[in-house]
Amino acid sequence: MVLVLALGDLHIPHRAPDLPAKFKSMLVPGKIQHIICTGNLCIKEVHDYLKSLCPDLHITRGEYDEDARYPETKTLTIGQFKLGLCHGHQVVPWGDLDSLAMLQRQLDVDILVTGHTHQFKAYKHEGGVVINPGSATGAYSSITYDVNPSFVLMDIDSLRVVVYVYELIDGEVKVDKIDFKKTATGHS
Amino acid sequence: MSLDADAAASSCSFWNLRSLRWRIHLGILSSSSSPSSSSIDHLRRAAADSRRRYASLRRQLLLTDAQAALAKDEDSTPDLSIDNPLSQNPESTWGRFFRNAELEKTVDQDLTRLYPEDGSYFQTPTCQAVLRRILLLWSLQHPQYGYRQGMHELLAPLVYVLHVDLDRLSQVRKLHKDYFTDGFDESLLSYNTKQNNKARSNNDEAGSSSKLTTFADLDPEIKQLFLLSDPYGAEGELGVVLSERFMEHDAYCMFDRLMDGGSHRGVSMAEFFSHSNPIGSGKGTSPVIEASSALYHLLNLTDPSLHSHLVELGVEPQYFALRWLRVLFGREFNLEELLMIWNEVFEYPNDTCLDLKVTDIGFQVFCSDRGAFVASFGVAMILHLRSALLATENVTVCLQKLLNFPKNVDIKTLIEKARSLHGIALDANENIYGSQSLSGSGSNRTPPHQPIPHSYWEERWQVLHKTESLPLESKKDPVHGRPVKKRTFREKLGLVRTESDPSAGENNQTEHTVRRQLFAVSPSCEIENCGRLNQSLSFIGEPSHFLNRNEFISREVSAPNSVTHDILNGSASGSVQGEESSASSVNNDKENYENDTDKSSVTSNSFIGENAEQEVAFTNGKVGEEGAKDEEEKSQLGLKETRSVSGKFGWFFKFGRGSNGEVNNNMEIGGGGNRITDKDGSGFNSNGISNSNSASHIARAENSGDKKVMGTFKNLGQSMLENIQVIESVFQQDRGKGQVTAMAALTELRKISNLLREM
Repeated sequence: MVLVLALGDLHIPHRAPDLPAKFKSMLVPGKIQHIICTGNLCIKEVHDYLKSLCPDLHITRGEYDEDARYPETKTLTIGQFKLGLCHGHQVVPWGDLDSLAMLQRQLDVDILVTGHTHQFKAYKHEGGVVINPGSATGAYSSITYDVNPSFVLMDIDSLRVVVYVYELIDGEVKVDKIDFKKTATGHS
Repeated sequence: MSLDADAAASSCSFWNLRSLRWRIHLGILSSSSSPSSSSIDHLRRAAADSRRRYASLRRQLLLTDAQAALAKDEDSTPDLSIDNPLSQNPESTWGRFFRNAELEKTVDQDLTRLYPEDGSYFQTPTCQAVLRRILLLWSLQHPQYGYRQGMHELLAPLVYVLHVDLDRLSQVRKLHKDYFTDGFDESLLSYNTKQNNKARSNNDEAGSSSKLTTFADLDPEIKQLFLLSDPYGAEGELGVVLSERFMEHDAYCMFDRLMDGGSHRGVSMAEFFSHSNPIGSGKGTSPVIEASSALYHLLNLTDPSLHSHLVELGVEPQYFALRWLRVLFGREFNLEELLMIWNEVFEYPNDTCLDLKVTDIGFQVFCSDRGAFVASFGVAMILHLRSALLATENVTVCLQKLLNFPKNVDIKTLIEKARSLHGIALDANENIYGSQSLSGSGSNRTPPHQPIPHSYWEERWQVLHKTESLPLESKKDPVHGRPVKKRTFREKLGLVRTESDPSAGENNQTEHTVRRQLFAVSPSCEIENCGRLNQSLSFIGEPSHFLNRNEFISREVSAPNSVTHDILNGSASGSVQGEESSASSVNNDKENYENDTDKSSVTSNSFIGENAEQEVAFTNGKVGEEGAKDEEEKSQLGLKETRSVSGKFGWFFKFGRGSNGEVNNNMEIGGGGNRITDKDGSGFNSNGISNSNSASHIARAENSGDKKVMGTFKNLGQSMLENIQVIESVFQQDRGKGQVTAMAALTELRKISNLLREM
């Protein structure tokens, strides 16, 4: 029952002032055990806010982040799963599944979380899962203006992960769920 | 609960198996159906039933979310907008999950602190897991109570007794291996065992091997144990009454029953944890507060002096009783003693005898035997600390003593005492109105007509008396024929409650004048002996007035502040010495008391009579007038006037009031002046005091026929009361440091004034 929050690309304060109110009301401290953030927060205040939600915070560097000390990539193990984290602007073409799969093999992780495209995506691919949590604030990306705020909550339970996707569509929070099970060797 | 099964059970000597007895008493293993069938079978069936209930409960409530999700995958997809982890909806499964997690954290906090000493059974992981599960389940099952700190301490001894019994069972198993082995295995191994038997019996000396005994020859207790734990008996494994596997189930059932109070709605521990009123109750307070005041009520019935002392100090019962009641004294005693106490508590059935919701008076806790015993045990504990509590005037010290109950107390005496109080407790609900019991809030001021001063002051005197260690003690005569509560003390001092001798000496009024004359003579001697003060001398110096009673009294009224008290001992030959000594001891210890009223201190005049009669003179009027005059001047005579003195005075008033005739009686002096001088001399010696500070009042009891004087007294009392009120208001404005003591003094004044008014 480990809850991991994955979000990113907030672009506060440059492209968006804050998280949507409905998201903020849902994110209360005490429920979530880990936060992984793909990057582009951009300022320290956002970092502090996320830290208040959960003390275990992992961030990778996005191209607009003002704190230069974040790493480019990060890996961590939660339950039986290995998670990999990267912002994604380093992987060209942006958002391309095969290239991301290369990164996944490189990092040797089961779940790869990247961002930068500001679009939610979740792929089951070659024994691994690639997740893009989108932009939590709905900030415009280099590619498009049509961005819905979204983030991802993963419920990791030893060999099984349930991915909940929260999207703000037309002012309403829509939730979706995806199930992944890990077999002994790789993903099913 | 079938009494037969109970009787059979106890006759089967389940002495060592506490868990079994407790389960029977709590009503889990009792059977309401036919008592004719074998008791062991019944027990097994009841055990099996209770365990089944628990198992289904566990299945319902403790599914992990993964299991829940698995269960859900088969159903239609749940509404994700509600059922996601971040959902604010309290009904979602995730919400429940988080709430359970919170609950578990709270429970764990308490469990880690449970009996934390080394090697404690309660800190082993298995036990902790069991406790945690039981508490979680119970809290989830009873959301109106939730989990409160203290519940784990109620549960722990229950688990412990189960554990102890299981240990015993395994010991017995080891000793009598043959009879406990599984029959199935045995038949296979029988060949081998027979071989072993033969070999062993060849080696054995005569008859010592247990293998040679048959089953029937076994100790009945062992037999019972075997039957109870036979896996092939009624209900199979589930019916094995002492089973390790089902320890959790049994513990849960016991805990649940203890908290619920049983089907007859007796005392339920759970209510002690709730803050709100039970439904339908007319009381405005929470149950535990009510039970605490019930405790005080019982204390009032058994020991009013201690009760009044505690109430005056402001020691509210719930400060200490909350802890006592909520964990059933678990915090005051160590585990072994606690088990003994709980043995006693569970012996009493928990059925309510009357329906409180209908009558709406009385205390809930007295309605069942068990509740009454719990209350009586609490009162027994308070009484154990009696002397310590009475000795201190400080609220915090009192509370400290109550909260840190001494460690090496003889539990058996406490239990005996509680048993004796139990009868009173059961009737306590009837006495609610009669004894002017506390209201829910427990006012600090006692109602004016409550006869408080007697025993309280007696106690004070007792303390003083002990410290004084007067030589008089040897000369005391015991009091005869007086129904008094505290025999030892009263016998020593010959103190008597006025209520208890109502009819003594209505006669002898004729000798009134004679006595007065004699008394007129004596005071001079007395006063000299006592180092009398000015006023009394002036007062004494007019013997002519004594002839006319009224005049005398008026004279007394005019003369301020000299009253000699002689303690009155009614009809019986008084052991005045005792009284004198006490009074003198009181005088001696005047220093100990504060100076609050102008009621003069009492000096016992030296009347030691081998022949009983004492002279007691009351000047009611005198006192009244003095009170009126001197209230503002607190230390008119430079006396160390004390609260106790005024209390004594009030006490003497009661004497005077209750036994007017007796006073006259006691004023009778057989030997006339000789006797007086005799008394004086000896009294003086015996006193051994010359307390220059003490003022002596000569109080004369009123004849009931003397209405004029009564009227005067009433007026005086009234004026006193007014003065008291003035002072009180002044004090309330001031909020000075001496306020407490002054207020106390004022209460005394109040009492005296009430007495006066009644006269």
